Amino acid sequence: MSEKIVISPTSRQEGHAELVMEVDDEGIVTKGRYFSITPVRGLEKIVTGKAPETAPVITQRICGVCPIPHTLASVEAMDDSLDIEVPKAGRQLRELILAAHHVNSHAIHQFLIAADFVPENLMAAAINSVSEVRKTAQYVVDMVGGEGIHPSEIRIGGMADNISELARKKLYARLKQLKPKLDEHVDLIIGLVADKGLPEGLGVHNQPTLATHQIYGDRNEFDLERFTEIMPESWYDDPEVAKRACSTIPLYDGVNVEVGPRARAVEYKGFNERGVVAQHVARALEQKTALSRAITILDELDTSAPARADFDITGTNKLGVGAIEGPRGMDVHMAQVANGKTQFYSALVPTTWNIPTMGPATEGFHHEFGPHVIRAYDPCLSCATHVMVVDDEDRSIIKNEMVRL
Amino acid sequence: MVLGTYKEIVSARATDKEIQNVSQDGGIVTGLLAYALDEKIIEGAVVAGPGEEFWKPEPMVAMTADEIIAAAGTKYTFSPNVMMLKKAVRQYGIEKLGTVAIPCQTMGIRKTQSYPFGVRFLADKIKLLVGIYCMENFPFASLQTFISEKMGIDPTLVEKMDIGKGKFWVYTQDDVFNIPLKETHGYEQDGCNVCLDYTCELADLATGSVGSPDGWSTVITRTEDGNSIFQQAVETGVFETKDMANVKPGLDLLEKLAAQKKDKNQKTIDKRKEMGLPVPY
Ligand SMILES: Cc1cc2nc3c(=O)[nH]c(=O)nc-3n(C[C@H](O)[C@H](O)[C@H](O)COP(=O)(O)OP(=O)(O)OC[C@H]3O[C@@H](n4cnc5c(N)ncnc54)[C@H](O)[C@@H]3O)c2cc1C
Ligand code: SF4
Repeated sequence: MSEKIVISPTSRQEGHAELVMEVDDEGIVTKGRYFSITPVRGLEKIVTGKAPETAPVITQRICGVCPIPHTLASVEAMDDSLDIEVPKAGRQLRELILAAHHVNSHAIHQFLIAADFVPENLMAAAINSVSEVRKTAQYVVDMVGGEGIHPSEIRIGGMADNISELARKKLYARLKQLKPKLDEHVDLIIGLVADKGLPEGLGVHNQPTLATHQIYGDRNEFDLERFTEIMPESWYDDPEVAKRACSTIPLYDGVNVEVGPRARAVEYKGFNERGVVAQHVARALEQKTALSRAITILDELDTSAPARADFDITGTNKLGVGAIEGPRGMDVHMAQVANGKTQFYSALVPTTWNIPTMGPATEGFHHEFGPHVIRAYDPCLSCATHVMVVDDEDRSIIKNEMVRL
Repeated sequence: MVLGTYKEIVSARATDKEIQNVSQDGGIVTGLLAYALDEKIIEGAVVAGPGEEFWKPEPMVAMTADEIIAAAGTKYTFSPNVMMLKKAVRQYGIEKLGTVAIPCQTMGIRKTQSYPFGVRFLADKIKLLVGIYCMENFPFASLQTFISEKMGIDPTLVEKMDIGKGKFWVYTQDDVFNIPLKETHGYEQDGCNVCLDYTCELADLATGSVGSPDGWSTVITRTEDGNSIFQQAVETGVFETKDMANVKPGLDLLEKLAAQKKDKNQKTIDKRKEMGLPVPY
């Protein structure tokens, strides 16, 4: 006899989603479906028809959890559409912000999963450790990006300003100081995850990984030709789920994929572990990679060099692509600019890629482990939503043939 | 109290000849910011630096004494220094910041410290706020107009401007010109007519020329920090001071002008209220 276990909404994540699991008599998941029920944002429609500079400012508001990747993906898409060559210092500062953001954002996730892994007697120490890591990482984002949440300095063409030599030296010194602290923090997290003794193979799936760069993102590694997108009703075989799911299903080479820290580790660091534990480990190790990258950039940065290119906003309607590796995975923004206005805008965001992979990843284990599998992806739903609920009574979403936001 | 809360009032001037040569009055602002930088009380200061257009200042983050000195002298038009504070504590990496501001800007700064919307992490980094007295300020186009049209002077030849003894003064290389201040009335920005603060009552320390002899300034120390930094600077010999009781025209004039501004502008406020117009108080 099969029973349905529904967790709605799934907790300790950003946005709202539902996990529906069909289980057998033992409570083992035979079919897992995960889908977004977050109301649509429609930001891509808002920026269309406006000046290109509007896009990064508006689209960074897609989400308060990863505003940095969205800002970067947006300016990168615009840079590409307008054929702008970003000066070296501008590119370095952008990567510096993102590296710091990775350290910070992963630490937030470690706070969110603390209740799953940290015993009572270590809770205070773990939370303090998270806070300390975040404080220094956010200091970098604040200083270089202008604001810790919605960075005002990241602009089309580069960065509004380079930083001063004083700022460079301070940031360098603080990140150097953070290094031993972060090493300890990462050891703590990896140790705690191991101590939990999750069942072997939990969350393992056979889908491919997708990433464009170890830290920053590279549009040349994202092949638009290999990408397709289908509507939820052609993906979910449960009609109840299909009609309420609020995100489209992106496929690469016709299949669903995994993006995020583990995907990057697989693609660029020869990492071959899979499943929940591997995801937490890859995420923690990535904090170290990001920190050393940030330190290297600060060491090499020429603070007297220009950080922003001059450019003309007219545009030729070229389809510009910005591919940024957000903490939760690859974030692609696409833009076309002509006559000085954005003609087309589309965001293909990290969790959207993971959604179709996450549900099936719960299969084969007791449903009580379902939430563990979901949280291992650090899902963030608010940017993922791209279709609209049309009927508030039965919560069915807009029809395929209608406007896609 | 018509001069606001304060600890001490003295007449003072910078002893450094280089500062005396470039400063507007006693070189208190330049001398004090340079001293604070030297003593590492601050790591940099937002000042009204030279801009692209002659006499149109641009806020500037000064990180050396030379840059502070380059910004000396009063510019009788707006220098939006407040705007630059955030940048100073972000891209410039300054964690101990000094600045100079007229009373309305000082109110704005104090407000951002209390309600840091859009300016997080700035409040505790402002270590020294030097205020300057202000009766009114002119939009740049106003200033250009009355200098060129009313006074008949090419603005690019102007070396210094000043207000004193009821007149607006313009110095060129060879000449000194003036017009009665009432000739400039109507050219000031509208907000100045509802402004009640003459002596920068919310600054750490406020200064202006009124009350002291030419080349000297009247210094009002207001906060613990403002007072102690100024006293240290005096002890180190950065400033020489005179008792207000022994200088002409003396404190009476300062009190008189501060009271006049409050009375006159309070009337404007009352009138505006009567007419149902908004006032910023
Ligand atoms: C608009 C205006 C009106 C004034 N009205 C009076 C008055 O009625 N009575 C009076 O006694 N004093 C007045 N002052 C102050 C006076 O002119 C001198 O600025 C003050 O005495 C400081 O002189 P100092 O020699 O100590 O400063 P300095 O060493 O010459 O340094 C002056 C400092 O002020 C900054 N500064 C210059 N212009 C501006 C500006 N527009 N906004 C913000 N900062 C600026 C400069 O960057 C510099 O750091 C006024 C100043 C301004 C800007
Ligand atoms: S009079 Fe008041 S409002 Fe006008 S510039 Fe001076 S301080 Fe500002």
